[in-house]
Amino acid sequence: MSHHDCSGCGLCLLVCPVWHGSRDVRLTPKGRARAIQHGATREDLAASVDGCTLCGACEPACPEELPLVDMVMELRSGRTFPATEVRTQGKKKLLLPGQALRAEPDRLARTLALLEGYELAPDDGMDIVTALETGAPITDERLAAFLAPLALARQIVVAEGLLLRALRRWLADASIRGIGEALLPAIGANLRAGDLYVIASQAFNCDQPRLIARYDSLRSSSGCEMNLDLQRIAMPVAGQARWILEGRSIERIVVEDLSERAAFDFAGKPVLHLAELA
Amino acid sequence: MSIGPDHVAPDALVGIPRQRTNAGRWVAEGWSAFRDSVRAQGVELLEDAATRGIFATDAGGTAYGLPHGVVIARTATQVSALLKAAQAHRVPVTVRGGGLTTEGESVAYGGVLLDMTGMSNVLQVDEKALTVRTQAGIFWSALAERLRRQGLDYLSAPLNLTSSVGGTLGVGGIDVNSPHLGCSADQALALQVVTPTGEIVECSDSQNAELFHRVILGYGQFGVITEATLRVRRYQALRMRYFYYVSLRAAIADLQMLDAEEASDYSGILTMMDKAITLLVAFDTDEKEKRFDQVFLGRVHGAGEAAFALRMAVSYAMRPWRWREALYLYRRKSVLFPEFRRPEFHREGKMHDRTVVFSRAVWKHWGGRQMVIPDLATSAEKFIEAVERGNDVCRKYFRYYTLYCVGIKLREDHRPHYELSCIPPDARGRAYGCEFEPMLGDAVYSRDMLQSFKNEIYDVGVELGASYYRFGGMMKGYIRRVFGDQLVEHHLTKKRAADPAMILNPDVVF
Repeated sequence: MSHHDCSGCGLCLLVCPVWHGSRDVRLTPKGRARAIQHGATREDLAASVDGCTLCGACEPACPEELPLVDMVMELRSGRTFPATEVRTQGKKKLLLPGQALRAEPDRLARTLALLEGYELAPDDGMDIVTALETGAPITDERLAAFLAPLALARQIVVAEGLLLRALRRWLADASIRGIGEALLPAIGANLRAGDLYVIASQAFNCDQPRLIARYDSLRSSSGCEMNLDLQRIAMPVAGQARWILEGRSIERIVVEDLSERAAFDFAGKPVLHLAELA
Repeated sequence: MSIGPDHVAPDALVGIPRQRTNAGRWVAEGWSAFRDSVRAQGVELLEDAATRGIFATDAGGTAYGLPHGVVIARTATQVSALLKAAQAHRVPVTVRGGGLTTEGESVAYGGVLLDMTGMSNVLQVDEKALTVRTQAGIFWSALAERLRRQGLDYLSAPLNLTSSVGGTLGVGGIDVNSPHLGCSADQALALQVVTPTGEIVECSDSQNAELFHRVILGYGQFGVITEATLRVRRYQALRMRYFYYVSLRAAIADLQMLDAEEASDYSGILTMMDKAITLLVAFDTDEKEKRFDQVFLGRVHGAGEAAFALRMAVSYAMRPWRWREALYLYRRKSVLFPEFRRPEFHREGKMHDRTVVFSRAVWKHWGGRQMVIPDLATSAEKFIEAVERGNDVCRKYFRYYTLYCVGIKLREDHRPHYELSCIPPDARGRAYGCEFEPMLGDAVYSRDMLQSFKNEIYDVGVELGASYYRFGGMMKGYIRRVFGDQLVEHHLTKKRAADPAMILNPDVVF
């Protein structure tokens, strides 16, 4: 599957935060694919490729089921996605909390308490996240060192959506979930009408067909609103927090991804991390 | 050099020189002066090959052309400056919204491609008056997204998420509620239009009415729609019901009976060839559905899903040599039915966001790199014959295809809008349209073969006095045959007066 398989339907535009911010088709998956189909080179597309947020909202929208995030990462790095696969052997449960959650010990402790039996992974792999984002190379040695402790786990919860996507390939036989999915059973009952529940888009969108029923059911039972668009795809917060709130009457905002809390400061509403709902 | 007759259907183009169905490329005289002029006015003109390549074809994927430059629309003032310069330097301007044309109408064969999706903001929602003012490059889906935050919805829009408001108002826009609410173009209350000579004009049925009449359903000939005021309504989830037929005639008769009686809020026909014909009806309210059950259900001739499946199984068991067709129908049903019943779009038996459901299914199971969708629009009386004859053409050319039939409620006070449009002139009360879409899949067809198929469908329309949704672009050779010289000359005179250099959307109609 490649850019040449794009039929140009444009459904990706509807969910693309870069398009929402720019209204410029050149900066979208459709724009890149159409340009490549007509002879554009990597260099021609540099601004478009660099501008992508890798939120992954375009993937569940694409009727051709193109691996659009991989395609951007390959255009950035000039390489295919690192193809390592490690077999897991242990029974540990590990949490990779990411930079934002690790920086707030109280919330991290609360999250760990809700995730019964989990312990903190020794290495968050933030340099690997950065490399995935920027297209910088990841050495085999570094990747092996990062994955070695994770291979002792059967269940892993990951805060960083891009890392979650990568770990699912690198540790194919482990159960790897986002923080939202992992905590929903513990906090779902505490959501209520008047809440805006902000799903971490990278983690959700790379697994949307499986997760949508669960989130939709929660939305229905609690009466809360979510950052799901009409296609039931999670709208990324970056650059469009105001759009997510526009036209809604919200009393409280609950974020899955702690790093997205600041984006809603302008709203003048309480913004909680989902672990605080318990 | 003239192009010879079509080798597949040599009669299809009698009287129409082939070269008139294919747009010639503009030779770029005056481009440099034009470029300097627009840039001096602060208009960003993109000339790099990568950007121009994005717009090289439309959803049909059979017409290809490159603009010399692309402008992303940002404001009416910018569009005005662009059109004034284009008039002065005689540079063609092709306007594009979602680019969902199939006949190359939104493909620029040289000149400027004006990408209207740059103007996609909702400007004002009036909950009391039930109206919305929006920039016209917005996709209907994005408009719906904004309206839903306030419990509102548009009235009717194409079952395609990436149709733009402006593009739709220019050609019609059919929804499964069009038998009851009319086409999308009929919901426009007022427009801001930039005329081909660059004037920014507000128009409606009561203000600059002549311009309003020409721009609505005007195929982009008389101005660029930059803003629109549309009627909206309270959002309703709907309850969908399906009835299955083996006879097109019976299904259409039931569709027209139900429409005439206003028995449902939504109705339409979707088929797998002429073997499995689905009549869908849907309801906004329980009361309406209850009335349907009490009054009309007994008059509907279609079967339920289980009974129809049994009938088909028996039918194909008796005709084992048609196993390939049976297998196709079974596989098609297996992928389509779950798509229309995805649980995240259904709650308590009601379908939410029908456009999303239909559009995703359309792109996933009908879409592709190449699409041809010739259509016929007729009065109610002529519709069955039109569909049956069009169906015969489909069977002649393709093993697998789909028909999509729907009614369009007409507004007598909008007769001036309907002139030289998809609305057939002899239709009263309700018109009917049918799209004939072959399932091209991964097969490769020559453009001549596809053109011949379209021509044969359109020849049926000429004989019946029908109209077409897609009469522009590569099909424009039919315009005089369908509408007659007198009406075409009348509009051509108006077009020449409004667009002296004939620069706006060339090769679409004129």
